[in-house]
Amino acid sequence: MLFQINFKSGKPVYLQLIDQVRHAAASGALRAGEALPSLRPLAEELRINRNTVAKAYAELESQGVIETVPGKGCFLKVVDSPFTKQARQKLLAQEIDQAIVAAHHLQIEDADFLGMVRDRLKHFSKKVESAEAAKDGGEP
Amino acid sequence: MSIESAVIEIHGLKRGYGRVEAVNGLDLTVRAGRCYGFFGRNGAGKTTTIKCLLNLLRPQSGTVRVFGLDPRKNEVEVKSRLAYVPDAVAFYPWMTVRNTLDYLASFRAQWNRDTEADLLRRFGLNAAHKASALSKGQRTQLALIGAICPEPELLVLDEPTSGLDPIVRREFIETVIGAYQSGDPEHRTVFVSTHLISEFEGLIDEFTIIEQGRNLLTMAADAARDRFRKIRARFSQPPTKLELTGALSVKQTGREIEILANGSSEELIAKLKAQQPEDLQIEALTLEEIFIASQTLCGSKS
Repeated sequence: MLFQINFKSGKPVYLQLIDQVRHAAASGALRAGEALPSLRPLAEELRINRNTVAKAYAELESQGVIETVPGKGCFLKVVDSPFTKQARQKLLAQEIDQAIVAAHHLQIEDADFLGMVRDRLKHFSKKVESAEAAKDGGEP
Repeated sequence: MSIESAVIEIHGLKRGYGRVEAVNGLDLTVRAGRCYGFFGRNGAGKTTTIKCLLNLLRPQSGTVRVFGLDPRKNEVEVKSRLAYVPDAVAFYPWMTVRNTLDYLASFRAQWNRDTEADLLRRFGLNAAHKASALSKGQRTQLALIGAICPEPELLVLDEPTSGLDPIVRREFIETVIGAYQSGDPEHRTVFVSTHLISEFEGLIDEFTIIEQGRNLLTMAADAARDRFRKIRARFSQPPTKLELTGALSVKQTGREIEILANGSSEELIAKLKAQQPEDLQIEALTLEEIFIASQTLCGSKS
């Protein structure tokens, strides 16, 4: 997968890497079992500190998004959270709260907000579908 | 040695030339495994500080410790564990690239031949060429090979990329990240002084800005990008009653206003929002912009 770093976003670089992997996983750009770029070439290509990439990958591993196979590299894991559904919903509620706060300050009405959530969900599932179709089409 | 131990420790360093105080009470700590940026204008005292680390100059007062050792008393041990690339590199003109590397290797306890072959190929350097026939870029590449092959714990770079073309500069930084940093990340510390801050942006963990021989600002790079913000707002009418205390600088042209914030961006954004701007944009400053902004910081102090 390809990464894009923006120093002007004010977000720490390792968090930008984490977000991009999580986004790629959710949109089907990166599939379970697929390899992430290895540390050294990625750090060289983005011209960022090797330790920054290592920190992002370690964090992704502790979040259960990727797994490290010694000697082989890092791979995207099948989504399989060890938490109960209740615990997972609680974690998500915090993220949703942030979006609701942002919506309030941007003067987005509740109905429009819900509509946008549905649109975004569709957007992601479409991406996953087209990624799947390309995969099936590509295989004999 | 633990990861968090200090590789370089400088306290109250003073060094002058005649009546000029080049370094005047500098404090600085570089922890192992970090990449530390040392920024300052010409004549701010960067090279003098580096020369004190290498015992090329003696401090007039203050302490300098490298790997916990005094470079004046343990010069050989300190130098055997570090490598130094200055801005202008000189080699014996009659030696070939091959001779030069062998000569440099003869001073070192270890020398990684694989890395050497790798980098010679990557830079396209011909081992049979005479050092006198090399361009400035090639001489810097040769110096970098000479600095990385002994796999030192500390790499000291003094304006390493000034005067080089963009391709060579890019390769230089990629080599520091790849060939050097990836070897044994916990024992690879970089101390780099440079003007070309934007090129090293992604590499720098922490930095010090030095001005007139003193620390002006020492911060972690992520924390600095979080603290220094550029806020742009456009209003329907030129704003009149804006009290923007706490801003580092305020530029207003008609209906538009640009503010540099130093830590108090939330407050400033709230004040601007209260005036109902048509447009409001917030971005982080890059390290180079922070360096430039820091010069206004020191102007307002004196």
